[in-house]
Amino acid sequence: MPDLVRFTLNDESTEVHVDDPTATLLDVLRHKLALTGTKAGCEIGYCGSCTVIVDGRAVPACLQMVGLLTGSNVRTIEGLSSPEGLDPVQNAFAECAGFQCGFCTPGHVMALRALLDQEPDPTEEQLDATVDGNYCRCTGYAKIADSARRAAELERITRRRRLEKQEENA
Amino acid sequence: MTTEIAPPAIQAQQLPSGIGTAVRRIDADEKLTGRAIYAADVRLPRMLYGAVLRSPHPHARIRSIDTARARRLPGVHAVITSADTARRKWGAFRPDLYPLAVDKVRYVGDEVAAVAATDLETARLAAALIDVDYEPLPPVLSLDEALADGAPLVHDDAPGNLAHEFGFDRGGTEEWFDRSDVIIEGTWETTRQWHAAIETIGCTAEWSHGRVTMWVNTQTPFLARQRYATALGEPLRNVRVIQTDVGGGFGGKSGDDNTSVICAILAKKTGRPVQLVNSREEEFLASRPRIPMRYRVKLGFTRDGRVTAKDIDVLADNGAYTGKAQAVLGAATVRHDVLFNYRAVRARSRLVYTNLVPTGAFRGFGNPSADWAVGQAWDLAAEKLGIDLPDLFLLNAVESGSISPHNHKVNSCELKQCIEKVTTAIGWREKRANRRPNRGLAMGCSVHVSGRRSFGDYDGSAAMVRVADDGRATVIIGEGEIGTGARTTLAQIAAAELGIPVEDVTVTRPDTDLTSHALGALASRVTYVAGNAVQRAAQAACQQLLEAAAKQTGVPASELWIADGHVHGHNPEGQQLRTPVGTIARAALYQPGGEPIVGLGSFDNPSEFPDEVRYGNESGAYNFVAEAAEVEVDPDTGAITVHEVAAVVDCGTVLNPPLAEGQVEGAIAQGLGMALTERFHWADGAPEDPTFSAYKIPTAGMMPKLHVQFADSYEPTGPFGAKGVGEIALDPIPAIISSAIADAVGVRVTELPITAEKIFWSLHPATTQGNAAHPRSDKEDPS
Repeated sequence: MPDLVRFTLNDESTEVHVDDPTATLLDVLRHKLALTGTKAGCEIGYCGSCTVIVDGRAVPACLQMVGLLTGSNVRTIEGLSSPEGLDPVQNAFAECAGFQCGFCTPGHVMALRALLDQEPDPTEEQLDATVDGNYCRCTGYAKIADSARRAAELERITRRRRLEKQEENA
Repeated sequence: MTTEIAPPAIQAQQLPSGIGTAVRRIDADEKLTGRAIYAADVRLPRMLYGAVLRSPHPHARIRSIDTARARRLPGVHAVITSADTARRKWGAFRPDLYPLAVDKVRYVGDEVAAVAATDLETARLAAALIDVDYEPLPPVLSLDEALADGAPLVHDDAPGNLAHEFGFDRGGTEEWFDRSDVIIEGTWETTRQWHAAIETIGCTAEWSHGRVTMWVNTQTPFLARQRYATALGEPLRNVRVIQTDVGGGFGGKSGDDNTSVICAILAKKTGRPVQLVNSREEEFLASRPRIPMRYRVKLGFTRDGRVTAKDIDVLADNGAYTGKAQAVLGAATVRHDVLFNYRAVRARSRLVYTNLVPTGAFRGFGNPSADWAVGQAWDLAAEKLGIDLPDLFLLNAVESGSISPHNHKVNSCELKQCIEKVTTAIGWREKRANRRPNRGLAMGCSVHVSGRRSFGDYDGSAAMVRVADDGRATVIIGEGEIGTGARTTLAQIAAAELGIPVEDVTVTRPDTDLTSHALGALASRVTYVAGNAVQRAAQAACQQLLEAAAKQTGVPASELWIADGHVHGHNPEGQQLRTPVGTIARAALYQPGGEPIVGLGSFDNPSEFPDEVRYGNESGAYNFVAEAAEVEVDPDTGAITVHEVAAVVDCGTVLNPPLAEGQVEGAIAQGLGMALTERFHWADGAPEDPTFSAYKIPTAGMMPKLHVQFADSYEPTGPFGAKGVGEIALDPIPAIISSAIADAVGVRVTELPITAEKIFWSLHPATTQGNAAHPRSDKEDPS
């Protein structure tokens, strides 16, 4: 009898039936929910390619048991951009050439997104520590570090605009 | 031996808009939103998942294979062994690899059997249920074991375990040594380095009407297709390869391993699509890492610092199967000689079979191993000659017009400019004048090709540029994208030639059914070789547009031009014309006898197919680099900190600066990994723990401050003056780090990787005597 797990995925309530509640979120995303933007790089929690946001924290989906997700809020790379455009973090990577093959990119983007959600005005050390948590084999990290700084900048601009808009509307 | 010829007239033309600027990558959106489809993201109806059973022995006879238990597992659709294959050996140069082992296994990881099942877990479980009865054989686990008298043979048809051997003496080496005042000799060894692309190797295969379609993350779809067809025992026409998005190549996805072949066999057996993707462990056990080399070098110099002769003896560890290793050994033997004005060079190079993971192409293609040895020998020479290293390099560096002892003809060359600029960038003179304790400085240079004639007498590319009635251009080309941004660069070239915005250009992905032949991403060739083809195709399409516009407007084509996506000119009445190219294209089509705008372009590298002893001008353009690093060593622990790395690259015109910088920065990181961190502890012929937890690739925190610059340079045969840039910045890094450590604390490491342990034990030899248990500091080599 499969277990039913209910959680919120990219702002939509989601139900999955899993034979084994210790199945990983990575496996469920990629093979049950057809969300292949979250990448498998090592499946032992080292490389960070499968980073998603669970209840506001960046976690490697390869180590997240899906059975523990009941009631949780999960965000993946597919939930980041909207029809109106890319997230500031994504825009920063595009502007700064912060990706090459792009395989580790969703993980880097989600890790920085989680940081900016928690720390809208992060220090350079926080940005660097976040980049240091994920592998990249192409870039040598210089342009990812640039992207992280640019993401923080774009995030501040986006938040200010949002505030201004709210004030206008009020 | 080096002859001066008249340098080509280098005329840097005015670059058009969109060339030399930071154009946003054309694949940015799909890669940033998770929509890009990599090998493991392919989903086909009724698709099964594959798993491979690999040998646990480095060398064993297969007595029998019992697949009954695996077949009985629910969800299993096929279990295959060599009996289900064509039993045909394949390989890029020396066919010696079966798709699944026949009678014998030759390394830990060798493919023995495979399973297709409804899901990956079932497939892997079933693979573990296959019973193989092995008779272990004595293995050869090192170069020395393999070359010993009476050593067991890895392949019966390779006596002495020699897979390949060649040598030469060009220019009278002994005479030049006799005339030398200073001789430097030494032996340096490199170790296996894995590409460790974050995406592993994978394939999805499906058969239909007797043909197989393979979606593969390969760098070289057309070359891989030829080898897959051989391995499958199928005529070439029955194999179609489509490139998926590729999550990092670095040489490791060049189609020399069995994963795609096994995938296609499973798909045929089951009659359903099958996906087979390496796990990270499999990638470490059975991909094709960098070839370890033992590189003995002897250099001669005159008293005033002019290099005379070079003699090398190279032993390369092929592993169990050959792949591209013999070509890599060729490059490791000759390529360096383009760099300095050697009067004579002699070499003996041998490729040796061992019962270890097969080796192959990795960014640098043998150059990093050559530079590891020869670069350090040059550093020792500078010391012995009493000449500052940059000055010694400047004294001997080649220039435009040089010809190497192997007939490499150097066209554009700004090596001296690179050396001068990197001296400034690292602050060489200031740091030399103000030495700090435990800090060291070193420099190195290297040379690379822009494409290389390797796979027969063709290193060309062909493209079609179609301009549609919507005003958009499509570049139809089979070269592909492995992450470097090659498709963006090709789009820039097409856009610049056509006079349309780069956003209006699409570049197709490789599909061997749809595009003309393309050799793909190897030998730093795509920008130079394919760039030329695209440029010519776009010029042809542009000419067609102008001629169509001339017919439509009555203004001569020679008086029309295209800019901003519009055809411009003046009609006989002097009125300004400004018509969208899409309108011109549509009008050219919608008329009696109408024709589409399709330009064809083709370019073959102006190079020679080197002969069996590697004589021949292998590329039409050579790229150069000078790099320098400052390191600090903690004398108490041996810990190494790399503070700064500076690189100045001559890659001709820089078409897209951030993309070119990214190639240099990424190459430096891989060079630092090769130098300092990337290794396994080995036991019984295999890595003890083949995961990222044991194998440390560089992280952001480990990276030094980087200074990346480009020489002012223009390659007359390149598209808008461009040359290759993908590999070169890796090559000198390990040697530079080692020489800088020697400069800092006087310890010269000769075997990679350079670890704190090695430095510590050299600095504290007394400690060793009281510590018999000095814990496996030398277990980094398989032996």
